[in-house]
Amino acid sequence: MPLLGLVFAASLAGFCALSLAMDRHSEDVFGRGSTPGAWRRWLQLGGTALLCLSLWASLEAAGGSVGWVLWLGALTAAALATVGLLSGLPHRFHWIASAAGGVAFLSLLFCL
Amino acid sequence: MKDGFRQSMAWLHTWSGLLVGWVLFMVFAAGTASYFKDEITFWMKPELHAISHGSVAQAVAAENAAAYLNRNAGNAARWFITLPTAREPAVGVLSIKPPPPAGSPPAERRRGFDRAALDPATGQAITAPRETRGGEFFYRLHFDLHYMPALWARWIVGFCAMFMLVAIVSGIVTHKRIFKDFFTFRPKKGQRSWLDAHNVTAVLALPYHAMITYTGLVTLMFMYMPWGPQVAYKAHGGTDTFFAEAIPGGLRTQIKPSGTKAALAPLAPMVAQATAHWDGAPVGRIVVHQPNDANAVVSITRAEGRHLSYEQPSMQFNGTTGALIGTFGDVPKAAAETRGVLYGLHIGRFADPLLRALFFVSGLAGCLMVATGLLLWAVKERQKYAKALKQGGRIGFGLRLVDGLNLGAIAGLPVAMAAFFWANRLLPVDVVGRNEAEIRWFFIVWGATAVLGLLRPTLRMWQAQLALGALLFALLPVLNAFTGPAALTVSLRSGPSSVAGFDLVAIALGLGLAGAAWLVERKRRKALAAPRKAVKPPPPTELTASAAAGQGS
Amino acid sequence: MILILQVFPLPLSHEFPNDLARRPALVVSAGVRYRMSVASRAVAAIAGGYGVAALSAAVLALGLPALFDMARSEAALTGTLVSFLVYAVAVMWVFAARSAWRAWTGLAIAAALQGLLLLLWTQGAGGAA
Repeated sequence: MPLLGLVFAASLAGFCALSLAMDRHSEDVFGRGSTPGAWRRWLQLGGTALLCLSLWASLEAAGGSVGWVLWLGALTAAALATVGLLSGLPHRFHWIASAAGGVAFLSLLFCL
Repeated sequence: MKDGFRQSMAWLHTWSGLLVGWVLFMVFAAGTASYFKDEITFWMKPELHAISHGSVAQAVAAENAAAYLNRNAGNAARWFITLPTAREPAVGVLSIKPPPPAGSPPAERRRGFDRAALDPATGQAITAPRETRGGEFFYRLHFDLHYMPALWARWIVGFCAMFMLVAIVSGIVTHKRIFKDFFTFRPKKGQRSWLDAHNVTAVLALPYHAMITYTGLVTLMFMYMPWGPQVAYKAHGGTDTFFAEAIPGGLRTQIKPSGTKAALAPLAPMVAQATAHWDGAPVGRIVVHQPNDANAVVSITRAEGRHLSYEQPSMQFNGTTGALIGTFGDVPKAAAETRGVLYGLHIGRFADPLLRALFFVSGLAGCLMVATGLLLWAVKERQKYAKALKQGGRIGFGLRLVDGLNLGAIAGLPVAMAAFFWANRLLPVDVVGRNEAEIRWFFIVWGATAVLGLLRPTLRMWQAQLALGALLFALLPVLNAFTGPAALTVSLRSGPSSVAGFDLVAIALGLGLAGAAWLVERKRRKALAAPRKAVKPPPPTELTASAAAGQGS
Repeated sequence: MILILQVFPLPLSHEFPNDLARRPALVVSAGVRYRMSVASRAVAAIAGGYGVAALSAAVLALGLPALFDMARSEAALTGTLVSFLVYAVAVMWVFAARSAWRAWTGLAIAAALQGLLLLLWTQGAGGAA
């Protein structure tokens, strides 16, 4: 169960981070003219790392082949959720993203 | 040259998508529903909702089934036994009747087989749940269509699927900023929003769309492209040999009866031996060839489980002695395994409920991708008429046709699907030809919405149909409560969980459709409120107003 | 088809001058030449593409055992699986080619080459046996 939570939380947090690394979506969340600045590389790296963590968790949860299918499905759901959040709840976005990251971290602790 | 290439791929993407979009929308919708076809069938048989399903050992269920078949179909040519799963709690049995004696009246010849659903614990036939195709209707609809020979339908759907594959590849090539636009969705911006919606639903579920389209072709690939096996096996025994080599254990040649009676060996030890051989994996299907005959062969196939591949290993036993004849498919060859995995990915039966829900979400994204693509075309097309419309002119026949088809196909289909479920509960239980009656309602309602859509492709009509669909779906749990034993309040507490799931998804779909209807209302109000400067004030039809606002039909 | 050509002329690159003026949004009459061109490409893509794909299935089914010692059933399966991708690529080629004439020529060359290979392998097998 914590593994599955990790799969979804990590992919959501990962995509949120990757989106914030883009000027366009930084503006969506933090207002016009905002850029990720020095954070850009960190957000990109962190986002990618979270997606990889999600892949690891999927493979652990569902085995070698089905795990890949689960990961891709979770990625789709997470990406759609990210888009929904960016256009629907832009001002709460960074809180939700951080919360997802927090859940991911906790789930990781539970799994190890 | 590169930009010329992108442009030509954009042209190809538009036309390959548009020309088959309406069929594809239905294929996607019916296919997405099929992920839960067993659950849908179960919901449509309220008589079964009270059945208790404590788990019964497979061996016991198999023996009970065999006893039933011995009593009722002792001289059949073959028995098929499908053991219960979490999704289908009853045992399915089917027996091929022996050929009728020559000269018997034609009516008796028609149905070559008998089938029944048995309670696994007792082996008794479950008293007739109402006749219904259930979820199988949607499953068949998405590749066999209806009201036409299956062969034609599969060629049509295959043609559309090939167009879809081309649309996907050309779409990827054409999309210039696929990473930059990854998360971009700007609502309330007219054509831009439609394009964003199309991009988001397409790109974010791209692995799924590419997989489902290609694997769809793979499932019928021997029909669409028989040339490999045909040419390679021309001098080596023909395609029969090919199938025997590619799918071992298939037993494509019939086992002939010897004429000598011999009691069928008990199935329980065979089931136990098979399960042990497969490291505890359960048995899925048992086929008994020529039961109670000296030549009887029992073929046991592993249950679908967590393996991607559709092909399952099987074992064959001598029907009279119970001795093992052979095991097949334990170590599949690479290309055969690849094909099995691709087929398995498409039908998705390996997936547990969570994974199936993810497939369902991706399938819905696919429906939205097709729908937004069709609507985007109409929006772009309408802009070319904007000037003409301001001066009181009319849009061309082509666009009007596309508007009408879009309405009927996109808004009408949910209404028809809901009507199918309403018909299931409202038609009398003992009506003759009940299966077809329910299906007829689906097509009658769809036809009506399509005709209305073609006659009046206006925003109001979109609203009306979307709202009707929303209402019919959202009220399905209420319908269930009045016509079945497991209302949502009951099923949420003590099951069956699939009935609860169906009711909840119906409500969610109803809410989604209501949301769409509300979006249309907002667009309508915006279009009417914005004052239009023109040479002559245009006639106050919604069509003109929406065109002037640069937004969709 | 007529509808297609009235509203969305095919962007053949030799039609675009370098100082590209914006095309009018609505082209009422694209001319018979355009219609023939698109129709020709459609036929090439649908029918010709299928032909090339079918040939590729057969070529792989015969060639893979001959060249790589693959089992016959495996090769037949591989060829069939790959053929759909060949079909998609062939369709894209037809519409990316600079003219309908080139589109047909490309397909014809692909078909001829594959046909030759097929002949080689079926005759070769017949001769050896």
